[in-house]
Amino acid sequence: MSEAEKLGPDYELDLGWMDQTGPWDTRAEEGRNGLTLADIQVGEYGRVPDESDNQTGRPRGSAPRSGSYRIGNYAVRTKSEIWLDNASFLYEEALQRQWSSATDVPWHTIEPLPDDIEQAQCQMATFLTEVEFVAGDVPARWVSQTTPDFFEARQLLTAQVMDESRHMDVFRKRAMANGGGLMAATGATSGFVGSIDLSRDFTEMSARLHISGEGAVLTIFRMGELMAYNDAEKAMYRLCAQDEARHVAYGVMHMRYMAETAPERHEEINCYFDEAEAGILSGSANPAGQAPILSEPLAILLGGGIAKFDEGFKKLVALRRRQIQEYKKRVVSAGFGARFENGRSRINEILEQAAAA
Amino acid sequence: MTAFPSVEWFDDVRDIFNHEDSFRGGGGGQCNCVAGIKVGNEIFVLTFEGFECAGARKASLGDLDEVDFYLDMEILEWQAMIENIRQNGHAGLGYTLNTLDLDRAERLATSVHGDQYREDLFFRYNQTLQYFFDASSRIATEFAS
Repeated sequence: MSEAEKLGPDYELDLGWMDQTGPWDTRAEEGRNGLTLADIQVGEYGRVPDESDNQTGRPRGSAPRSGSYRIGNYAVRTKSEIWLDNASFLYEEALQRQWSSATDVPWHTIEPLPDDIEQAQCQMATFLTEVEFVAGDVPARWVSQTTPDFFEARQLLTAQVMDESRHMDVFRKRAMANGGGLMAATGATSGFVGSIDLSRDFTEMSARLHISGEGAVLTIFRMGELMAYNDAEKAMYRLCAQDEARHVAYGVMHMRYMAETAPERHEEINCYFDEAEAGILSGSANPAGQAPILSEPLAILLGGGIAKFDEGFKKLVALRRRQIQEYKKRVVSAGFGARFENGRSRINEILEQAAAA
Repeated sequence: MTAFPSVEWFDDVRDIFNHEDSFRGGGGGQCNCVAGIKVGNEIFVLTFEGFECAGARKASLGDLDEVDFYLDMEILEWQAMIENIRQNGHAGLGYTLNTLDLDRAERLATSVHGDQYREDLFFRYNQTLQYFFDASSRIATEFAS
């Protein structure tokens, strides 16, 4: 016997919900790239408030529900704290350019490597698995703290979490794929990387994670192609670099928005860059830094073995220069280039000290 | 046989690239950028829109001001890369775009404007750009002697 409620013949439908809509008669049209988030920014639905009082999880543009209680913990309710102008575009790009660590990496091309090379590759894989945990955990925390009115930025962060999850698994797979395994944890999640998760607001987090942290890792991923010994490692690093470049783009575009809309925060943001630059080559946060647990395997991979360590170390120094050059240009692009003109930044001095060490 | 570099060569590659579904997955996909190609003193501009390389045209040095980034090698270096791709069906270990960018004193990918956000498009769309040049393995190329 069915447990469904039986309605009497004189039952009248309420239908009150039919009168409570957002703007009606909306006809979003798909463009060349399909029906994207940008295509549905139609009329009122496309209006992003500078301040949001939405504490109820109400989708932007929908009719409010009376008597609703507070949902979530939306600390981020000021647009400038999280916004970037191309969030929709980057989100669609993230969806379109996904890849599978199981099937898009030609694992069959991996062949036995000399022990020192395999150990160095596994140490890098261990380190990258370690730091990608942070890169996934931190954005995830901010998703839930952001009002649904800024859903474009939220969704982009959610896509980033998926990317970082894949990075965690692909490096773990590499460690397990060729007779090696995971090596020692490097402690990279303490110090500067660990401090990312202590950020008090999103912009502080983004300066540390997207521009400083991921910018440095982006160079390492790209360099990964230079220290790859087979097509599988090439693909693994190249595909991770693509994702990482998108995350860096989030940071640059957010900082650019902040630079234009919140000049009162310039000094504060410069402090985050001061902090990042002071630690960029020290500690174990940056694999191209000076900690032996990472700089040695990198030099071994770049040189082609322990016997060619010096050759590899020269390449590592060149890598550091490129890493810092790219960092500086990103900070300029983000609207904070004055620090390299007015003597505030010590990044060149730090680089020269590291090269001489 | 199609001569490299020429608009005809890029058009032949575009035709393969634009009709190959496998290039739309596996880390490929929609790509929106304008890339310059500098072969010695010859300049070409490729426009990528969505899943396609929408256009290739001959250009002048001044046009490089407008592109997001450009790839700069001498003709013999381009020839070595294209021949390697032809032999392997795709770029071999030493000839992927990213490897070439890193493993030389002068960068492969650069720009006139110096805006790292736009230069980063070379990294963001690297697999698509690699697929594009890997598509050249399916055409016969001749090089000026």
